[in-house]
Amino acid sequence: MRNLIEVQDFVKKYDKFVAVNNVTFEVEEGTIFAFLGPNGAGKSTTINTLCTILEKTSGRLAIDNKDLSHEKDAVRRAIGVVFQESTLDNKMTVHENLIMHCHFYGVPKGEAAKRIDFVLELVGMQNWKRKIVSGLSGGMKRRVEIARSLLHYPKVLFLDEPTTGLDPQTRAHIWDYIVKLQKEKKVTIFLTTHYMEEAEISNKVAIMDAGKIVALDTPRGLKQKYTKDIANIATSNEEALETALNKAEFDYTKKFGYYSIDATSLPKLMEIIGELRASITDLEIKKGTLNDVFLAITGKDIRE
Amino acid sequence: MNIIVALWLRNLKLFIRNRVQLITLIVMPFFFLYIFSAIFKNESITNPVNYMLAGIVIATVFQASLTMGTSTIEDIVSGFMKEVLVSPVKRIQVAVGQLISAATIASLQGIIILFFGFLIGFRVNSWITPFAVIGFMIIVGLVFSGLGLFIATLVKDSQTFQIINTAISMPLTFLSGAYVPLSILPNILRFVAYLNPMTYATAFFRTIILEKTSLTIDELIEQQLAFKIGDFVITPLISMVFVLVFGFIFLILASYVFGKVDFSKINRTRNKEEEIW
Repeated sequence: MRNLIEVQDFVKKYDKFVAVNNVTFEVEEGTIFAFLGPNGAGKSTTINTLCTILEKTSGRLAIDNKDLSHEKDAVRRAIGVVFQESTLDNKMTVHENLIMHCHFYGVPKGEAAKRIDFVLELVGMQNWKRKIVSGLSGGMKRRVEIARSLLHYPKVLFLDEPTTGLDPQTRAHIWDYIVKLQKEKKVTIFLTTHYMEEAEISNKVAIMDAGKIVALDTPRGLKQKYTKDIANIATSNEEALETALNKAEFDYTKKFGYYSIDATSLPKLMEIIGELRASITDLEIKKGTLNDVFLAITGKDIRE
Repeated sequence: MNIIVALWLRNLKLFIRNRVQLITLIVMPFFFLYIFSAIFKNESITNPVNYMLAGIVIATVFQASLTMGTSTIEDIVSGFMKEVLVSPVKRIQVAVGQLISAATIASLQGIIILFFGFLIGFRVNSWITPFAVIGFMIIVGLVFSGLGLFIATLVKDSQTFQIINTAISMPLTFLSGAYVPLSILPNILRFVAYLNPMTYATAFFRTIILEKTSLTIDELIEQQLAFKIGDFVITPLISMVFVLVFGFIFLILASYVFGKVDFSKINRTRNKEEEIW
């Protein structure tokens, strides 16, 4: 697979404030790449620069081998963008919005009608074609926006916080569409989010903090590297449990009647649990999340 | 070209869909017609109602085209401009689309008033006159939508624009001779009126719509269609040239500023600076 997005030593400054500080990464064709980080980490600046809205301060950025500073038009044709805030034309119908987009990107007339039906079906909005946008719910608007961004068959789709402000059910739907797009249409997807659990569907996750990429790996790789499983056990025979844990060299703390154990080796722990099962009154095994990864790397919670 | 036509159609649709606005736009001028034609009765003007109607039509075109800057601001604030920015569309195409639609909508309003004027007895003799009238309305529409777009792009904020719009359009209309004859103005205000592009637009428009092109200079001055400043007489033709010069300046300014402005920093969350980063 070739790299569709290439970013090297990218720096963006606003006057003296350094919003993005020397960032380098690549995105492979056909994959989902997530930018993760708290507000103000530099995610939007990066995405806006990749969308040709902002000018870089220095570095080299290319999409589909086209340089962002010199081949803006070619880059713009190759990308689709869904911004954090709606950019739909509120007083026009869904259909009129989509037609306008076709005009902007020079989609041929005969082709436009076909594509509009196709993308609306993709996001399940075919019955809302003639409705004025301002009357749609937030989730519907987002779906229309995703549909619109696909009309010119972009190679890369940029999604800036695609689910912020939506209810959990709609959020799940939006993610279904996104995964479907990647699987069926082979669209490369670049997204930013601050919902950790949502980044799990990505092939690669870059964690950003204070303008720098502090970690870049697959979600599984990140979790393996930066988090550990925790087992919480409550028992009626504390002595037996403590002896067994000490013998197997598990680190643990005790709070609120529960033993919180660093489960460095699950098989070994399972053995202990098996032996003591008669005395164990409660058991919980917690897998590491990307939130824990963020916590481990930056020392702070992402939602602070 | 396609894009300009698409934008033009869109803005036209938006205008027609806004029923309330449409009705107000039709009703308002007739209040003015009723009130102000009384003032002109005391002047040496042959048909005060027609004279006033002509003034109202051109003033409406002027105000409408200036106000159309609001729709540009709405497009900026609603985020629609951002969608345009990431597309391969050239900014100048967007600017031209906005200007042409503003001019069209402004002229449409002028035509609507003329139509009602026709119903209450306004007539022209030559078949050329309607074409000349519509042609000039479009020119005036373009000139002042250029000014509107220029201001809109500078302020980028609906409320500020409304204030500036009123602050500009009120004095320019009242010091143009459209509603109030210049001859009753004090000298200082009359001097200001001579600096006002609308004065010349109004004079030229009245000359063609009232079919006064064959009048002598003295008659034109008497009917306030030409102006004598010192020894220099501004004939309707010179007025037309002035309008074009002003228009040229406004359009250049508008397209320059529109091409330069950074729309990415304007959005609903612009108060929270960190959101931009």
